[in-house]
Amino acid sequence: MTRREPTTRRRVATYCYQCVAGPDLLTVQVDDGVAVAVEPNFCAAGIHPGAGRVCVKAYGLVQKTYNPHRVLSPMKRTNPLKGRDQEPGFVPISWDEALDLVAAKLNAIRKSGLLDASGYPKVAASFGGGGTPQSYMGTFPAYLAAWGPVDMGFGSGQGVKCYHSEHLYGELWHRAFTVSPDTPSCRYLLSFGSNTEASGGVVGVRRHADARVRGLKRVQIEPHLSVTGACSAEWLPIRPKTDAAFLYALIHVLLHENARAALDLQFLKARTASPYLVGRHGYYLRDPASRRPLMWDVRRKSAVPYDAPDADPALEGEFLADAIEIGPDGEELERGSLAGTTAFGKLLEHMRRCTPEWAAPICDVPAATIRRVANEFLAQACVGETVEIEGETLPFRPVAITLGKTVNNGWGGYECCWARTVAVALVGGLEVPGGTLGTTVRLNRPMSDRTGSVKAGADGFMAYPFNPTDKESWSASPNIRNAYRTLVPLAANGPWSQALGPTHFSWMFLDGTPKGLPGVTFPELWFLYRSNPAISFWDTAAIEDKMSRFPFIVAFAYTRDESNHMADILLPECTDLEGLQLVRIGGTKYVEQFWDQEGFALRQPAVDARGSARDFTDIATELARRTGLLEPYNAAINKGAAGTPLKAEGYDFSLDVTKAHGREEIWDRACRAASAELTDGAASDGLDWYKAHGFRTRRFSTLDWYLYPALVRQGLRFELPYQERLFRIGQELGRRLHDQGMTWWDEQLAEYQALPPWRNFPALWEKAAAEAGWSAADFPFWLVTARSMQYAWGGNAGIQMMHEVAENVAGHGGVIVNAGTAARLGIADGDLVEISTPRRATRGRAVLRQGIRPDTLLMVGQFQHWATPYAKNFGVPSMNGLVPMSLDLTDATGSGADLVRVSLSRVGGPQ
Amino acid sequence: MDRIAPWLQTHWDDRAAGNFIGGGTGSGLAIVAATTLLASGESPPAAFALAALLIALGLGLVWLEMGRPWRFLHVFLHPQTSWMTREALIAPPLLAALGIAAWLEGAASAVAALVLALAFLFSQSQILHAAKGIPAWREPRIVPLIVATGIAEGAGAYLLIGAVFGVLPESPFAIALTLAAIFARSLAWSSYRRHLSRGSAPAGARRALAAFSPMVVVLGTIVPFVLLLAALALPDAVNALAPLGGLAALAIGWRMKHAIIRRAAFNQGFAIAQPHGARGGATRAEARPGWS
Amino acid sequence: MTKWAMVVDLRRCVGCQTCTAACKQANATPPGVQWRRVLDMEVGEYPRVQRTFVPVGCMHCDDPPCMSVCPSTATRKREDGIVTIDYGLCIGCGYCAVACPYQARFKTDRASFAYGDRPSDAEDMSFDGDRLAVATKCTFCVDRVDAGISKGLKPGVDPDATPACVNSCIAGALHFGDIDDPASNVRHLVAGNAHFRMHEELGTGPRMYYLWG
Repeated sequence: MTRREPTTRRRVATYCYQCVAGPDLLTVQVDDGVAVAVEPNFCAAGIHPGAGRVCVKAYGLVQKTYNPHRVLSPMKRTNPLKGRDQEPGFVPISWDEALDLVAAKLNAIRKSGLLDASGYPKVAASFGGGGTPQSYMGTFPAYLAAWGPVDMGFGSGQGVKCYHSEHLYGELWHRAFTVSPDTPSCRYLLSFGSNTEASGGVVGVRRHADARVRGLKRVQIEPHLSVTGACSAEWLPIRPKTDAAFLYALIHVLLHENARAALDLQFLKARTASPYLVGRHGYYLRDPASRRPLMWDVRRKSAVPYDAPDADPALEGEFLADAIEIGPDGEELERGSLAGTTAFGKLLEHMRRCTPEWAAPICDVPAATIRRVANEFLAQACVGETVEIEGETLPFRPVAITLGKTVNNGWGGYECCWARTVAVALVGGLEVPGGTLGTTVRLNRPMSDRTGSVKAGADGFMAYPFNPTDKESWSASPNIRNAYRTLVPLAANGPWSQALGPTHFSWMFLDGTPKGLPGVTFPELWFLYRSNPAISFWDTAAIEDKMSRFPFIVAFAYTRDESNHMADILLPECTDLEGLQLVRIGGTKYVEQFWDQEGFALRQPAVDARGSARDFTDIATELARRTGLLEPYNAAINKGAAGTPLKAEGYDFSLDVTKAHGREEIWDRACRAASAELTDGAASDGLDWYKAHGFRTRRFSTLDWYLYPALVRQGLRFELPYQERLFRIGQELGRRLHDQGMTWWDEQLAEYQALPPWRNFPALWEKAAAEAGWSAADFPFWLVTARSMQYAWGGNAGIQMMHEVAENVAGHGGVIVNAGTAARLGIADGDLVEISTPRRATRGRAVLRQGIRPDTLLMVGQFQHWATPYAKNFGVPSMNGLVPMSLDLTDATGSGADLVRVSLSRVGGPQ
Repeated sequence: MDRIAPWLQTHWDDRAAGNFIGGGTGSGLAIVAATTLLASGESPPAAFALAALLIALGLGLVWLEMGRPWRFLHVFLHPQTSWMTREALIAPPLLAALGIAAWLEGAASAVAALVLALAFLFSQSQILHAAKGIPAWREPRIVPLIVATGIAEGAGAYLLIGAVFGVLPESPFAIALTLAAIFARSLAWSSYRRHLSRGSAPAGARRALAAFSPMVVVLGTIVPFVLLLAALALPDAVNALAPLGGLAALAIGWRMKHAIIRRAAFNQGFAIAQPHGARGGATRAEARPGWS
Repeated sequence: MTKWAMVVDLRRCVGCQTCTAACKQANATPPGVQWRRVLDMEVGEYPRVQRTFVPVGCMHCDDPPCMSVCPSTATRKREDGIVTIDYGLCIGCGYCAVACPYQARFKTDRASFAYGDRPSDAEDMSFDGDRLAVATKCTFCVDRVDAGISKGLKPGVDPDATPACVNSCIAGALHFGDIDDPASNVRHLVAGNAHFRMHEELGTGPRMYYLWG
């Protein structure tokens, strides 16, 4: 049969936001009503920094649409027993019945109160993928806003699977929920495990490719040779979890082995707290009247407040000043003529012993290499150079340091993030062209305007919305189960904060809440969407067990999977090529997504919904109607829950809040508001316009890639290098917790250091294994993971083509083992091996490679599915079942790190 | 499987090997039968018939391997460069000549069969030589090897037939011819292997052939040599020794072809080379996985 | 004379397989058949290891061994250098596949689909039974190139006249153009950078140029 020619062919513009590095703008070729192929939206080449191209995951969307394993009708569970070993017995039901069942449950909850006896929300919701489900869930956020308190803190693996410390400390220091080099002009990049070529999306890949050809030298420092390492000029196979030691040695070389003038002294004096005087208790010396931190003014030969005009502050030295030193809870520790050392002086002393020779045996990287890299970094920093951007002269410092997962989360994450940020600040490379940039904010407001989030706070620094630790305001009763407001001041209290707390506590504490917290309860109703914690969390067996005890789970389901295996109701929603939604694009977003355009893009139905799949917006509206929440639901949409406020100065496209509106009408209003927003009210093109054009943007100033101008304008400083505020907060938090008899967080409190010392971080994991009864010889290997571009965040393991093409990238078929190690253990390529911890074991095929440390094993991606059709047959191991969930391995931000000590043995030959 | 280092080709399986076995032995048998007929005046008609049968069987196996067997006539469309077309074009007249030779036992048909069989055998050797994707096949020394082993196999088959028809005592020529063919095959094999082991084939191919080589030397050369020399020296035992020697020559030839087509048929794999015009900045190394 | 060629910038390629996926979709190849794919190669021994991603496929050789061996003349070379297969002539003998030193040719005897024996709507729409049991390989998206040219578009520049893999490449590693045109993108890239061609010693004259200097 010859390929038949279609009678009609359309190209439908839409977007792919399957991963945090999106969105990618694409077109879908639709032949006779059937989607057959995805292509880049070539019209976007001019506005998209990745030349308008589309990531490999998007090409799986056609198969995703027509996957025969899709759930295409609402289903209800018939087996009341839940568990991995229980067949759910899902049976198809009508939408009416499904929504009635869900609404009845919700209405019963509303009737009895939204909080349970412990004060926790009875309704919980989990969305995966670093916030990407929001680009597919239509107006469901408006429904949740209308509902009231919802526990969004169960997560799907956050903390251990994300850049947790970077998210929190990054936002504190430079509005950097995510950090990126200024790749378009960077010349020298130290990448500690940052896997840009796998997780940086189209823009990251394209920009780095351009940069490599231009001459950017990237040194990749990580235990295995990742795809990013492959594309780097140099690979340094560092021992896992010792990155902080390398960074400390780098700082030592900058501070102690080079002339002081080689650093950016002007930047340090004017834009950091380096000159601030630190008293003997470790707090800033302050002006007794204004309580402002003091600096020593060389010109006046006296101490002056940090904002004294024309001051020439001393960077080094100890000085006497008429001052007060204020400790935790506003306590005045000392007053009078007090001796103070500059924060920079403190740093010098702190780093004096951290020589490359000290770091070398820790990191297993030669001292000469560390020294060379540090000196290259300094030489390439171009201290003193400037560049003009859009008429403004800015420092030009084309050097950057990036950190990857496992480096920037869990114990040691703080130290790495701090040392990285300090190192780039020493050469003036923070938030300036060529340097190290933050690219998105999630805890500060407004989220869509990073530079606009720069607001003056205390002591000359940017304001930061810490959860309070003072006696009066500290939250002794957590609002949700993971207790982020109680335990993690840095997590703030915005829409993203719940998911940035210690999400594993929501699970861990279900079977035993530690002293001082209200007993953690099971939510009465749990919404689950684009999230598969039973696969993606740590200690997945424990997660499965607890999930099986959730009383009522409503899962928006694409196919059956390991998490919705425990669900009571499955609701099939329109997938990527079937649904309708408008999202913001451009500006500055995750990691490398900083554009010189900003605007909106539409996801529109390229094909009719399959089966009885229903658009998410229509589901949300119907739930609002059936639970009597139409008014607050519509009000939330009017306020901006659909991506943009429908009413602003000069335009008003608000919905009538009393009525239920169809998806077309809702998104038409959103489109009109978006058009008006982008044109200052001049245009009001609606849904039809966006359907025809796909996207609309306007210019986004390149200057807004950098925070430096905003700080200069407001006379603010980066809160570096000395962490007086964190130190104080730690002290206060300790007091609050101890007042409640809570001592189980003491280890974490020790992280609140003004200048964090190196700790033997690898030993923490060795200790954890030893406590389980193993001797050191039993667990000789580090097991780590790496993102897979073909799968990361996509929830697409059940897509045949993704599996097929991913197999071309080493490691997708098993566990990567150093070839020399394998030879020593008698393991051949393809042999079946077992990887064990004291508690769990998993099996997979050995993939022998040279590009990995002999003491390290690597499992790419997150597999080991047992319910997801197609994926359950892979037979590929995952580390998620092996990583323990423990308080000991939780750092002060509430995160763990994605690594574990394991043994390795051969258990069988090749297939 | 990473499918970067050379791996065993799977496009041609035992059916293809069967064509080289059947076609090679058949054409070799035709050559020996025709030569013997021309040299000694007689040759068992069955030898010509069996040669035709073997060639036809081989071609039949290839036909079975075709994805689109009912388009078999398309095989004749490219005589300009394709040795497969040429082999196919030679086959009908060769089969006809063999049929006539078997029927009439005439010198003219024997000459025709001899020439066509030589051409057929040469075509088979060239088919492998032209397969540039398989280093163990494209090696030029495969041409004399395939020709020599075809004749050795054919001679071996001829001795078997001769034993059956009781013509061996009168055919020292055939035994001598067999000895010569075995000797030639031995030389061709060692030359072929020597060149491949110098790096012109992937490691897997070299290993496969090395593992097989003792069999060629012992069972395929020394044993038939001893048996056939003994047969020449002991006329009374010729009917026992000669066919045994022939069988060894034949069987090892078949195994050799099977090894070449199925075991040593590693493809080229992939490689990255030093770039032309590399400047100082080009520091990437050359790589040819699976060749050393 | 126009001679279409592809340039692969190995400095840019990240092995993401976007080209592999785009090719599979654009050409509706069945599971396991990858006319374009990217190799993940390692050179050296720990710790001195290099990992390189190398896109491969039909090289559209100047002297294609697949063509000379083909008994049916199904494999041909156009004036513009593109090596084609006439599925109606091919007998599926597999000779071309063993003649190709780039492992670029495939033969699928039975219809197979992503999820078993039954095609999805999309697969059904794109299914081409003529490609069963015959040789297939990368065509440089010849239909797209021809259709683009007929509309006055320039292959390698205009997406509608450019092979799907090149259109899809997120790293800007794949380029397509006329190597005989002194002003073409591919000619400039080859002239301005250190390059090699794979297995050049075999004399096939492959027209994929790899840059890495």
